[in-house]
Amino acid sequence: MKTGLLFILLLILLPCVVALQDLLPSLPPAQERILLLPLLFCFGVMVLPLLPALLYALIVAVVQGLILLQVEAGQVELGLVGPVVFYFGWAIFLQMANDTTRAMRWEIHAIASAMVTLSLLTGEFLILCAKRGGFPLDATVLLRIGVPSAAALLIAPFFYLLLRSLAPLDSRLGLAKLKPPGLEA
Amino acid sequence: MKRIQIVALALLVIAAIACCFLGAGALTRLQSGFLGVLSPFTRSGHVVQNSLGSLGKDLMTLDQLQSEYDRLLIENRQLRAENNGLRDLKEENDRFRATLGYRERSSFRLISAVVLSHDAEAWWSTIKINRGSRDGIESDMPVITDRGLVGKTTAVSGDMTEVLLITDENCKVASKVEGTKEQGICSGTRAPEGELSLSFLNKLADLQPGQKVYTAGVNGGVFPSGIALGTVKGFHARELDGEATLEPSADLGNLEEVFVVTGAK
Repeated sequence: MKTGLLFILLLILLPCVVALQDLLPSLPPAQERILLLPLLFCFGVMVLPLLPALLYALIVAVVQGLILLQVEAGQVELGLVGPVVFYFGWAIFLQMANDTTRAMRWEIHAIASAMVTLSLLTGEFLILCAKRGGFPLDATVLLRIGVPSAAALLIAPFFYLLLRSLAPLDSRLGLAKLKPPGLEA
Repeated sequence: MKRIQIVALALLVIAAIACCFLGAGALTRLQSGFLGVLSPFTRSGHVVQNSLGSLGKDLMTLDQLQSEYDRLLIENRQLRAENNGLRDLKEENDRFRATLGYRERSSFRLISAVVLSHDAEAWWSTIKINRGSRDGIESDMPVITDRGLVGKTTAVSGDMTEVLLITDENCKVASKVEGTKEQGICSGTRAPEGELSLSFLNKLADLQPGQKVYTAGVNGGVFPSGIALGTVKGFHARELDGEATLEPSADLGNLEEVFVVTGAK
């Protein structure tokens, strides 16, 4: 599949995944929610070449920022700076990880999805603590961070397989791109 | 790296920096646009979710149907009896309100809306409803159920609106406690567990579990006076003030249909 087509497919999947994660039921014990956006982001930035991956990261960052946007008395609580820096950072790191591991595998995607979810929720919590004051770190907060991260780790392989079936990758992208030199012929 | 790639990278960085400097107005418009894009996906998902839910209901056994029928029959009789009693109360209430001239203040123009989804965010409590600016909804309108206050509208698109629930830390409501002169600010907590916190009370306030709390209706505020907010669960004095924990009146975990207050009648 060509990069352009894959990019468009990943763009179309973006609102689908946001809508789906809102419709999924919450998990016990503290009504934790499953986040699917980090899973799609990890797949996107790992499978696309660097520049489209960064563009995709920027779009995901804007979407994430708009999801979290709360305007109170004309003041924005969390702007787009945090999400842009966060997703750009992770996109560059995952591109490097892709090159280092020499393969776009489901294990890397699963671990990356869990890490992105964990760091996203922890970052949001810390920024809110800095903005609103207080540091109410209790069992509920830890569950709110831990359960979605663990869920991401468990769901990621299925998500990865689903996306791979939707977007089969050719020799220029993904798995085949990262075969060790000499095996491509 | 080719020259064109360097130019593309530079443009991307400029776009990212531009995004970081967007103001509240531009972000609000972007958010409304995004809600508009999201709306067909959320609505379709809601339809599928409802279809799957009703599939399970259709598979009830005859025994289950019979017991459900019996239960509904009893409930129907109870409701009829209650309704008769309430009709008298309503007439009496209408008379009192007409006498006191409060009718205008306590009657609302309502738009009914179906809850499409509960947003999947850890630190914010929001839902999406199937009404928008085309139905006359604007941001900062109170949202209620027949049992009490739900929250207020925030981002509004043509046919979908985001509602900030009262269990969110950002949703602050001026409140008063029934039967006392105590007033305070009610809000949610950072990781909402379904409880509300009522702060800035007198630290010597004599609040008892079970006392009702209503909106106070501050001038120029979002919420009108007299909407049920919750019930006192507990009270403790802090260094400077008193704080009560409340059980919300509306069942915020199982919201299906809500009403947006668009104004007074």
